[in-house]
Amino acid sequence: MTKRMTADVVIVGASLSAAAAAKRLVDAGYETIALERFGLPRAKPCSGIISPRGHRFLIENFGPLPQEVLHEPTACRGVTFYFPGGVELPMQFDGGMTPHLNRTYSDYWAIKRSGATIHDNMRFIGATDQGTHVDITASNGCEEAYYRARYVIGADGPNSKVVSTLYPGYRDRITWFTVKQHLHEIIECPLDPEYFHYWFHPALGYYTWSHLRNNRQIVGVGYEANHDFRERHERALRYLEERHGVKLGPCNARETSVNNFGLSLINRYVFGRGNIIVTGQAAGFLNMIAEGMSAALHSGAIAGEAVVDAFRLNKPIQEIYRTMIQSEVRRCSDQWNIFKILFGRPHEADFMGTLAKRSLNEKLIVLRDVAKFLAPWGKYNWGRQMLWQAITRQITGGYNPRRWL
Amino acid sequence: MNNAGKYEAFDITPPQPGIIPACPVSPDALIGIPRQQTNPCLWDGSEWRAFVSELASKEIHVDERNASRLLYVTDAGGMAYGRPGGVLIARSTKMVAEVMKAAQKYGVPVTVRGGGLTTEGETVAFGGLQLDMRGMSAVLEIDKEHLTVRCEAGIYWHSLAEALRRHGLDYLSAPLNMTSSVGGTLGVGGIDINSPRLGCSADQALAIKIVTPTGEILECSESENAWWFNRVLLGYGQFGVITEATLRIRHFTPLTMHYFYYGDLRTAMEDLVMLCDEDAADYAGILTMLDRAVNLLVAFDTDERERAFFTTWRKRLRGFGELGFAARTGLYYILRPWKYREALYLLERKRTLLPELRPAHHLSQGKIVDRTVVFSQAVWKFWGGRQMVIPDLATSREKFFEAVLRGNEVCKKYFPHYTLYCVGIKIVGPPERYELSCIPPDAKGIAYGCEFEPMLEGRTYSRDHLQSFKNEIYDIGVDIGTSYYRFGGMMKGYIRRVFGDTLVDTHLAMKRSVDPAMVLNRDVIF
Repeated sequence: MTKRMTADVVIVGASLSAAAAAKRLVDAGYETIALERFGLPRAKPCSGIISPRGHRFLIENFGPLPQEVLHEPTACRGVTFYFPGGVELPMQFDGGMTPHLNRTYSDYWAIKRSGATIHDNMRFIGATDQGTHVDITASNGCEEAYYRARYVIGADGPNSKVVSTLYPGYRDRITWFTVKQHLHEIIECPLDPEYFHYWFHPALGYYTWSHLRNNRQIVGVGYEANHDFRERHERALRYLEERHGVKLGPCNARETSVNNFGLSLINRYVFGRGNIIVTGQAAGFLNMIAEGMSAALHSGAIAGEAVVDAFRLNKPIQEIYRTMIQSEVRRCSDQWNIFKILFGRPHEADFMGTLAKRSLNEKLIVLRDVAKFLAPWGKYNWGRQMLWQAITRQITGGYNPRRWL
Repeated sequence: MNNAGKYEAFDITPPQPGIIPACPVSPDALIGIPRQQTNPCLWDGSEWRAFVSELASKEIHVDERNASRLLYVTDAGGMAYGRPGGVLIARSTKMVAEVMKAAQKYGVPVTVRGGGLTTEGETVAFGGLQLDMRGMSAVLEIDKEHLTVRCEAGIYWHSLAEALRRHGLDYLSAPLNMTSSVGGTLGVGGIDINSPRLGCSADQALAIKIVTPTGEILECSESENAWWFNRVLLGYGQFGVITEATLRIRHFTPLTMHYFYYGDLRTAMEDLVMLCDEDAADYAGILTMLDRAVNLLVAFDTDERERAFFTTWRKRLRGFGELGFAARTGLYYILRPWKYREALYLLERKRTLLPELRPAHHLSQGKIVDRTVVFSQAVWKFWGGRQMVIPDLATSREKFFEAVLRGNEVCKKYFPHYTLYCVGIKIVGPPERYELSCIPPDAKGIAYGCEFEPMLEGRTYSRDHLQSFKNEIYDIGVDIGTSYYRFGGMMKGYIRRVFGDTLVDTHLAMKRSVDPAMVLNRDVIF
C-alpha cells in the first residue's frame, strides 16, 4: 500500500515566496511541508538586489540578515538609468542602501526560519484537487512520494509546474523571456560599484543591466527565449566598452533564468483554482526592473494568510485569496501604470523627481529614448492593455480581477 | 544546479532578546529602522519538558492539548499569530510565582494574557507558556469609606463594575471595552473619555501585588517598593505580573452626554483642547464620521458641572447642535450633488450609530447608566471584527494638530471610511512611571492621543495591507516625535525610533537585571 504523507498545507517551492507563506502558516499552527526539487541550499540565478520594502519584510519576519546571505558588495545604493542619447539618471533607493542577496543562502535561511518542514530533492509532479483535499505526487528522482493536504500553494517560480498542471495550455499562451547574466573578471570598470545599472537601449535588448558581485562584473541581457544570446551578450559588452570604458575579462560563470514579463504589466495574474493557489512570480508578480523578490515575499505572505483564514472561517480559499491579494496587485501593477509613474510615486526610487531636476533638453532626450526603447515591445500588443488597465485603475481604484486566471 | 556539496553551514538561530546585531548589509540600509524581528519565530527550546515536569511536581499542570493552545493563536488585533507550547490558567499569586521561578530556571518564555485585547500580538505567545490570568478574577475587598476596591488582576472591568454597582459605587477610569482585564490595563495605561481629568486607568491604582520575573511576590505602592510600582504600571508587562490591584473608586452617578457637530476637524480639535485645558467637562473626546462630520462629545457626572459648562463654555464652542448641523450639511450636499455617496453614508451612520450611543435600555431619566457598556458595544459593533486595526499617535499639545491631520490623510489613502478618536490624557503620576510609555516625554500637563480606526465593514484586507497602513501612521510619529499607545509586539520596531537608544537601553538594562533569562513577555518590547 502506498504511504501518503499528510499535512495541512503543502507548498511547492522553497524560495522567498514559499518562506513567507510558510511563516504565516506555521505561526498559526498549521502543519506545513515545503517541497523543493533541488537539494538545499540550491543555486538561484538572480541579480540579488532586493528593494528596501523586501529588506524590511525579511527583517521583520525572519530576523536580521546574517552575513552569509549576502554577496559582495553587500548593498546597493540605487539604480542608474542610461539612455542612448547620453543622459544618465542615478537614483538612490528611498530607504537607503538595500541588500545584495546571495539567493542560494538567503532563500535557505528564510525557509529554515519559517519553521516549515522541508522536503528537498523532491520534485512536484502533479496534484489532484479532490474537493475536500488535494493529493500531490512528487518524486525524488528514484521513487514517487505521495502527499495529501487541505490546500496547496504553488510558489515555484515563473516556470511553475503547479501552474502548468492547473492550466495545461497556459505555457504556450504567454510570451517568455530568457535572462542571462555573465560574470566577468574586471580589467577596468568606471561604473559606480554601489549602483545597479540599467540601459534603455533598443539595440541592446529588452533588459540589459550590469553590477558588481564578488569582484566580478555582471553583464546581463534579456530577450525572447529563442534569441542568439552569445551575439546579444557580445554586443552589450562592446557597447559598455565603447560608451562607458568598461573593460572586462572573459566570462567565468553564467546564470540563466526564464521570466514571465508581462503578467504584472497587463494585470494578467494567475492565482489558481479550487484548493490550489499560486503566488510569487509563479502568479506573475514582477516589479519594474524585474525585481521579483519583494513582491514574492509580500504575495507569499498573503497566500499564507489567505489559507489561515480559509481554515479558520471555513470559506473557499479562492474567494479569500483573490480578495486579499488585491493590495499587492495594485502595488505591483502600479509600477507599470503610466498615470501612477507620471503623477504618483509607485517605485522605491524617485524617477520623476530625478528627471525633473534635469534640463528641458535632457528631459526631451529621455522621452525620445524611452519611446524608442518601447517600440520593439509593440508586437506584443501590451500597450493598449496597459493603458486600459491604467484608466480602469483611475476610475475604479483597482485593477479588474476578471483578467486573472 | 544543486550546489549542496559546496555548502558550509551557517548559524540560522535568532539573536538573543534585546540584542540588535550589527547589520552586515550597510549602516545606512533602511535608515533608522532597527534590525528587530517583529513577527517572532516560535520558541522551541529543549528545556520545555523539564519546565513542565517541574511544575507538575508542584501540582501545577500545564495544558498542552492542541485544542487548548489553538484558542490563544491570536489576539483581538488578528494580525499576529503564534502558538504557546502550553497553557496555564493562573489560580493564585503563589502559583504565578512558582511558574516564574521555573521559567527563569529553564529559560522558558512566559506570555501573560488577560482579556487578549491587544492589537499587535503583545499577548500572543510564540512558543513557551501562555499564562491566562482570567483564573484570578475575584473582587477581594470593597472599602466604601475610603473608596477603594481590591481585586484580582484577571477580572474584566465590566465584572468589576457589576460588583461595585451593587454597592452604589463605580470605577473611575477604564478602557472603552468590556472585556479588558484590570491587570492588562494597568500594564499599558488604559484610556477613558474622562482621562483628560483623571489620567489613565493605571493612575487610579493605589497598590498592586506583583510577581517579579524571578518569582518574588511584592506588594507595591508609592510608599512601598515604589520602584517596582512605577516600573510595572505602564511597563508593558516587562517587570512583573500584576496579580492583585487596589484601585480608587467613586460613588456611582449616571452621566449626561451632549454632542456637538463640526464641519472641520481642526476646529473640533481646537475646541477639545480648550475644554481639556480649562477642565470644562468630566468627559470629552472627538469621534469623526467624515472630514466634514466631526463629533465632539462632552459628558458630566453632576448637574452642577453640566450647568457650569453651559454657562461658561458652550458659547465658546464652535460646534453645532444636531439640527443646526443637519441643516448646514444638507445645504452643502444639495449644492454638491456629485457627492451623493458621501451624503448617503453620513445618513446611514446617523441612522445606525447615534442610537447606539443613546440606547434606551441604558438610559435613566435621559442619563447614561453605564458608559463602558454603551461605548464598548458600539466599538465592537462598528469597529470590531476579526481584526482590530487601530494605530494611534500620542502627542504633546503642540504636535497634536499636525499628527492628527497627517494621520487623517493616510487613512484616506487606505480606506473608504474610518473614524478618528481623539482624547486628552492628564499626566498625574511621577515622571518615571511614564518613561517608555504612551505619554510622550515632551507633553506637559495633558497629552493628547488619536486612534485611527478604519471601518473594515466586513471587507477582507490582507494583513500586509493593514500593516502598511499602520506603518505609515507610525512613520508620522517618528517624523514629528510622538509616542504611541500601542508600541509593543509587531510595532516594536518603532520603539527605538521614537524613544531613542539611550532610554531603551536603560530599560533593557533594568529588564536584564530583574529578568536575567528574559522570559517574561519576551517578544513584546525587546
